[in-house]
Amino acid sequence: MIEPFTAPFMARALAEMVLLALVCGPVSVFVFARRLSFVSDALTHTIFPGVVIGFVAGGLDGLFVGALVAGLVTAVVLTVLTRGARVSDDAATAVVLTAMFSIGVVLVSRRSSYTSDLTSFLFGRLLTVTPGQIAETAVLAAVVLVALLIGARALLFRTFDPAGAAAAGYRIGRLDLWLNVIVALVVVAAVRAVGTILVVALLIVPAAAARMITDRLAAMAVIGTLLIAGAGYAGLLASWTASLTYGIALTSASSVVLLLVAAYLLLIPVRLLRTRRPPAPVERNSPHERA
Amino acid sequence: MDSALQYDGVSVGYHGTPVLTHVDLDLAAGQSLALVGPNGAGKSTLIKSVLGLVPVLGGTASVLGVSPAAARGLAGYVPQTDTLDADFPVSARQVVMMGRYREIGWWRPARAADRRAVAEALDRVGLADRAGHRFGTLSGGQRQRVLLARAIAAEPRLLLLDEPFNGVDAVSQEAIAGALRQLTAAGTALVLSTHDLAVARDLADLVCLVNGRQWAVGPPAETLTVAKLREAYGDRGVLVEL
Repeated sequence: MIEPFTAPFMARALAEMVLLALVCGPVSVFVFARRLSFVSDALTHTIFPGVVIGFVAGGLDGLFVGALVAGLVTAVVLTVLTRGARVSDDAATAVVLTAMFSIGVVLVSRRSSYTSDLTSFLFGRLLTVTPGQIAETAVLAAVVLVALLIGARALLFRTFDPAGAAAAGYRIGRLDLWLNVIVALVVVAAVRAVGTILVVALLIVPAAAARMITDRLAAMAVIGTLLIAGAGYAGLLASWTASLTYGIALTSASSVVLLLVAAYLLLIPVRLLRTRRPPAPVERNSPHERA
Repeated sequence: MDSALQYDGVSVGYHGTPVLTHVDLDLAAGQSLALVGPNGAGKSTLIKSVLGLVPVLGGTASVLGVSPAAARGLAGYVPQTDTLDADFPVSARQVVMMGRYREIGWWRPARAADRRAVAEALDRVGLADRAGHRFGTLSGGQRQRVLLARAIAAEPRLLLLDEPFNGVDAVSQEAIAGALRQLTAAGTALVLSTHDLAVARDLADLVCLVNGRQWAVGPPAETLTVAKLREAYGDRGVLVEL
């Protein structure tokens, strides 16, 4: 069970997954609570053209910078678009998502190595992460965790009760931007390892799965982290075993995501059992009824 | 006496369109004011204007001695509980702690004093034994009390409550009324919106009758009269309770 990870590339892949688990667990709790699943999905798609432009301009190093710039720009645009409530959140987000993704496809299709480039941008290359890339992920992870820690209380208040938080003096627009930037940074950190499409699973599934077994936010973050780390380990092991023992090519990142989704499905019955309690007491004697 | 709230000929509304006009209020520390009017009269908009969340379009407004925008975060606010997600994974204690967040700031962890303030606030609304319960599992009346405890924990000098007795059971109504009387006795100024005239008569020193504009303001005995209510509400809906 440990032996495959004595191969350096497997150990690096596992280290990358553990780092991603440390940030995605807590961040996914806010994505879940703020119902930002669709916004996260949009971010992963809008970062795609940035990734392509960065890669074309500067190779693998440019990819990182391109993703970072595209992520930050999208975070700002999405915050502004969804703010005034003049357009519905969903429609605005969907327009940005499809437009940016199409631009990315147009850009990448101009290259001769179109198919393999597209595959690696969309699904990542977990097994080829370098020590330098792990270091980048670690720095981003630290930045994200500090930003989340500073903003945690305000973000919690805003998520639970926007009007109450605004009345207490919090600037809602700035808090929304804060969280969107955090999500963007996570996507950037994860993009090379698991690709722009699969990263959304790391941002949505862990908290949704953890919510099945706990009512506490802190516990959700911890369980989410453990789920990603566990799925990372088991997914890498599965893809190693499949290819070495059975000669089946199993993409490691997709194995990780599939295992994460499997954990989610397995926890659904737990949720159903937990919520089978008597209904809340019906209230009588309201002043209006008495009057 | 300190003026907690002073409005002179104020209009409030959204995007430059007034929702409520001709508002004249003068509320001192320790006084309570009931905003009475039908649904859509502008009660919530008036409350949000005091909180600095809806702009004052005309007239002069002063909240705790400064403009509403400058006073933002100083006044306490108790929203209607049905505006909140009952599935949200927070405990009653965590919700009340939100009232301490401004005091705690961004960096430091909650101290013993914060935890004590939270416990005391929950005790004041009679929910000390429910601190660990998830907010959404409490009854509507208990959730309303938790939100009141959150406001109490922030120790505001002016507290605004949006329909605090809406859909609230008798036990919770008594607990809320008791906590509000304690607050005014300690010098907190209160503004609460209601369409329940009995609540206004029992709890308020002043009643402000609104419906698109302010129709009357003064002690309950002078404002909650058939003639004044008929003027404010139109001919419909006044027969209840009189």
